[in-house]
Amino acid sequence: MKEVLINAERCLGCRSCEIACAVAHSDSKNLLGAVGETDIPIKRIFVHQAGKRNIALSCRHCEEAPCIDACIAGAMHRTADGLVDNTGGTGECSGCWMCVMVCPYGVIRSEIDRRLALKCDRKCMDESAEPACVRACPTRALKFVVVDEFSRDRRQRFLDAIGNESV
Amino acid sequence: MHIAIIGNSAAGLTAARTIRKIKPSAGITVISDESGPAYARCLIPEILAGVRDIPGIGYATQQFYQDYDINLRSGIKVSSINAVNHKLKLEGGQVIKYDRLLVATGASPVQPGWPGSDLPSVFTLRTASQAVMIRKMAIDCASAVVEGGGLVSLKAAYALKKRGVKDVAVIVRSPHILMKQLDRDSAGLVENDLTSVGIKFYYGTGLAAAIQGPRGELQSVELEDGRQLPAGLVVIGKGVQPNSELIRNAGGKINRGILVNEYLETSLPGIYAAGDCIEVTDSVTGAQVVSGLWTLAVEQGRIAGCNLAGQARKYPPPLTRLNSAQFGSVPFVSVGDVQGGDELAVYQGAGVYRKLCFRDNRLTGFIMAGLVDRAGVYTSLVKQAKKLSAPLKDRLINGKVTGADILPILTRQGGIQ
Repeated sequence: MKEVLINAERCLGCRSCEIACAVAHSDSKNLLGAVGETDIPIKRIFVHQAGKRNIALSCRHCEEAPCIDACIAGAMHRTADGLVDNTGGTGECSGCWMCVMVCPYGVIRSEIDRRLALKCDRKCMDESAEPACVRACPTRALKFVVVDEFSRDRRQRFLDAIGNESV
Repeated sequence: MHIAIIGNSAAGLTAARTIRKIKPSAGITVISDESGPAYARCLIPEILAGVRDIPGIGYATQQFYQDYDINLRSGIKVSSINAVNHKLKLEGGQVIKYDRLLVATGASPVQPGWPGSDLPSVFTLRTASQAVMIRKMAIDCASAVVEGGGLVSLKAAYALKKRGVKDVAVIVRSPHILMKQLDRDSAGLVENDLTSVGIKFYYGTGLAAAIQGPRGELQSVELEDGRQLPAGLVVIGKGVQPNSELIRNAGGKINRGILVNEYLETSLPGIYAAGDCIEVTDSVTGAQVVSGLWTLAVEQGRIAGCNLAGQARKYPPPLTRLNSAQFGSVPFVSVGDVQGGDELAVYQGAGVYRKLCFRDNRLTGFIMAGLVDRAGVYTSLVKQAKKLSAPLKDRLINGKVTGADILPILTRQGGIQ
């Protein structure tokens, strides 16, 4: 399965991914239209600072996803494509925030008024078969790739290096 | 290989699903005293409120059992386990032979003992069928009394109000609601959320007796302090106790709940247990407590499923306090030990409350009310129980911590990518 990976050395913190994500989840699917919509389109990726670096974070679609275990409504589930999604499952999201409470990445939003948890659902792909955040990234800090064990290790070493700065 | 599972809720169903993935050829029988496919137990207040029906809170469809080749025997009670001969006896006499067994029998509400508590309009709220009965009765009801200040009671009270019951009173023995989850200030925010829809609270007392009308029907209740409140129906939420009788009668070890080892196996070889019926060790406090959370039941169901299917997997001591909810407009989250700690950090803003409890520079618990975004990052730190660096602790206290701050720790853990 392909994953969205971030190379924090390249991330400028420009938030293009956030805007692209929100636009891709709008009705009009374009920036001008999106800002005019009554329900303001909502991003599901978040650019954070960790130490001196910027990191864009969205749902990792974990193998053993704590949000699926925690969902009391049976809404959060694994799709046939291996994604973690709280729409289109057996149950309907009731806005209890159990998933928000257990997501260690903090990337599930609580839309309190709508009683709806919102997260990366990858319903933003175009003909290029890349997510909107990846397409929008001007420095290719975000990549959509198949992660093998080797790159997993390399990623870990990189994250460990950041860790020494921030944690 | 035939694996029998008693219980068709979070733990039982997750175990069945897990076993099927690991062992495509295993025979799986799920036996439940409730009828129909599994439903989301935590959502039964929505049935009471009239917002959803039983299929509307479905957790698995009938099709699921066919797809996973699970033999579902619903609406049947298991009367005994013969651990020596590996046999279950069902009510009615039928015998089922098993190679391995999972007991996921859940828990039952604590029954009240005051005079009149056996009247038909006095309910506990644990099953979908109870919720349906209360909903029916609530149609013609002008007043209802709910006993208990816990989550189930408050959800029931809110649902009754939503259903259209004019007067809903909640009787709370403790000084504030949600004693296990919240402190006085955060409970105040949640209480306001409930009083704003017209629910009334009576503190420091309990129910003493039911007062019947001329035809024997419930008319009002008397409180321990002598006050009387009109009540067409009563819902009792005084907690639950594990259903451990089957294991007890079969000779297995029980304390507060069924005792299991780190593989979730009971003292009876080949018999595992998971969910609300077992006792676990809290990872923060080290206390032996009854496991009583949907989330933990799912987790345990998966681990037990692996072990039942022959893939040995340990279950580490869980965080047993993990609650989140929203009644009206105030979401709240409570994780870990929110009473203890040697250092507190409290933030209060307009409609927002956050309290962090530290012990020895480790985050041991927290409360969030009004805003709950990124609560999971805090939960993750409670689970890790690592000493916090000064900058990270500052970010926690200022409410600025994000997943990016703890990424290195997360990716080191197994399971989570």
